[in-house]
Amino acid sequence: MGQFPKISQVREFFEEILKILYYYRGRVVFSFSGVALGILSICVIITTIEGANKKAHDIFEILGPDSIMIFGGGERQRAARVRINTLTFRDADLLQRIEGIYDLMKVYQVRNITMRYRDRNWQTQVVGSTTNYFESMSWGFQVGSVFTNDDYANLEAVCVIGSKVYDELFKGEDAVGKVILIGKLPTKVIGVLEERGGSTGGPNIDDRVIMPLTTVTSRIANEKRYLSMLRLKTDRDPDKTVEDVRTVLRNNHGLQGTADDDFTIRSSKDILKFVTVISGSLFLFLGTASVVALVVSGFVLANLFYLTIQERRKDIGIRRAYGASRRGILLSFLFESILITLMGGIAGILLSVILGGTFEKLFDIPMLFSYKVVVFALCFSFLTGLLSGLRPALRASRIEPIEAIRG
Amino acid sequence: MITLKNIKKSYFIGERELPILKGINLEIGKGEFVILMGVSGSGKTTLMNIVGLLDKQTEGEYQFMETSIDGLDDEVLATMRNMHIGFVFQQFFLLPYLNAIENVLIPIVYSQKQIRHPREKAKLLLGKFGLAERIHNKPSQLSGGEQQRVAIARALINDPDLILADEPTGALDSKTGNEIMELFHILNEDGKTVIVVTHDPKLASFGKRLIRIEDGTISEDITS
Repeated sequence: MGQFPKISQVREFFEEILKILYYYRGRVVFSFSGVALGILSICVIITTIEGANKKAHDIFEILGPDSIMIFGGGERQRAARVRINTLTFRDADLLQRIEGIYDLMKVYQVRNITMRYRDRNWQTQVVGSTTNYFESMSWGFQVGSVFTNDDYANLEAVCVIGSKVYDELFKGEDAVGKVILIGKLPTKVIGVLEERGGSTGGPNIDDRVIMPLTTVTSRIANEKRYLSMLRLKTDRDPDKTVEDVRTVLRNNHGLQGTADDDFTIRSSKDILKFVTVISGSLFLFLGTASVVALVVSGFVLANLFYLTIQERRKDIGIRRAYGASRRGILLSFLFESILITLMGGIAGILLSVILGGTFEKLFDIPMLFSYKVVVFALCFSFLTGLLSGLRPALRASRIEPIEAIRG
Repeated sequence: MITLKNIKKSYFIGERELPILKGINLEIGKGEFVILMGVSGSGKTTLMNIVGLLDKQTEGEYQFMETSIDGLDDEVLATMRNMHIGFVFQQFFLLPYLNAIENVLIPIVYSQKQIRHPREKAKLLLGKFGLAERIHNKPSQLSGGEQQRVAIARALINDPDLILADEPTGALDSKTGNEIMELFHILNEDGKTVIVVTHDPKLASFGKRLIRIEDGTISEDITS
């Protein structure tokens, strides 16, 4: 290269460029704000998408990457939130025999059941499940512990309550050891779950009571046949397991030929896929818009630069006479344009941090601001500066000193 | 210091050749004070550009500082200009966005000489030229004579061997012009080689040597 040693006084070099930018500030502001806006929108997009992805991954993490869920009722029969009972205890037993399945969680849900503690009432849902429920859901305890296999086998009236239920019924008092009335069944509280929160709009995940499945089906609901949901984990390829599960269920339900499934299978991958599709289209749409904004500001920058160079021919001539080589001129003009776009980029990033916070509060969009966004935005603004500055800077470097000085 | 052997320079307008310099032989030694005089179109500015390494001859050989400059590339020429030559122009050519002292410091940015404390040196030079009070003024706040003195300080900041001035008094009134020429005289006394290119016969008396260019050739070369 041999060019950097040529500019031996780096500080003076930078100071000069800053003074140039200040002198031509009217122009600089135009290009600067164009880039800032472009970078701003890119940052907002990326943080939103990253936020959504993070959320999806959280869900994924909670469910486990190898988990498969099965609900009663087929895709076509199912209205929103209404689950048809088609899944049976026998299904669960049969599925257990499929190769690679190691963790089967059975769930039977009873909705809108009233809890009572002293004079307080609360209506919520009861989830009857197997002892592995808490581990499968990666759900920790504030206090107390899970119900045991003995509790399960003996149909004990014990329950673990979600933090929302705890707040409503106990309001800060000790809950473990107390007896609450679930429907008509007096039940001992043996644990309080950690608050999980999250998903606004949907049902509150903390608003539930978990009991042994056996207790719920025989002492609360009197259900001998059906289950609401099954969750299983596999150490084989999830896609293949899903196929096996489907075959077993169809056989057991007597579905033949082209008959629709009367159950729904969801794997963790499906959830991720869904989010990826959504964020993909979001990215495509908004991404295109902001890239267009950046390209336009790049063009504006390039044109203003051409103007500037015409105006600064003498400037260039003088610098050449006093020892700047062609490459020195090229470099200083490039630095100038990159400096403008980088400053625009930094402004865009700062703006997006401010706006992002407001967005998050206003619309409840999760935003994840990571160093990746900053790096990406800086690279993008750098590239804009480089690309739009290159041609004008090349032209500037080709100006002959004598022509420039002669006028 | 400067040796020109049969230097020719032509410009081409389409197919037509327009000879500007028609064989210049010239030798200028260290410490000389040369007035290069000629009317407009005589080729004096072209000659100065070649001597100043801003332009290349079409034919002939040019040795600057005992080095033949034929075939040297842009980088090397730029470095040589920076190290050895201080330019002064008729229109001063100070950069409008820099103040006096920053203008003086321009060559430092590209300098490979390790000039120590360049800012102090610039201050000293400007002080010497009676501009101590004006170092933070922008060119637009300075008179013509002051601007030209800033330009001369800029030419000197990098300790050049040669001062090359193209019509340095052309944009100044005669009193100020004489002051500037006086300044060159002092610089020459201090050991700098000075070449002033001009069309103005009144300046002839300032130099130690007068070279007259007419129609692309040297018509007169008198050392007083």
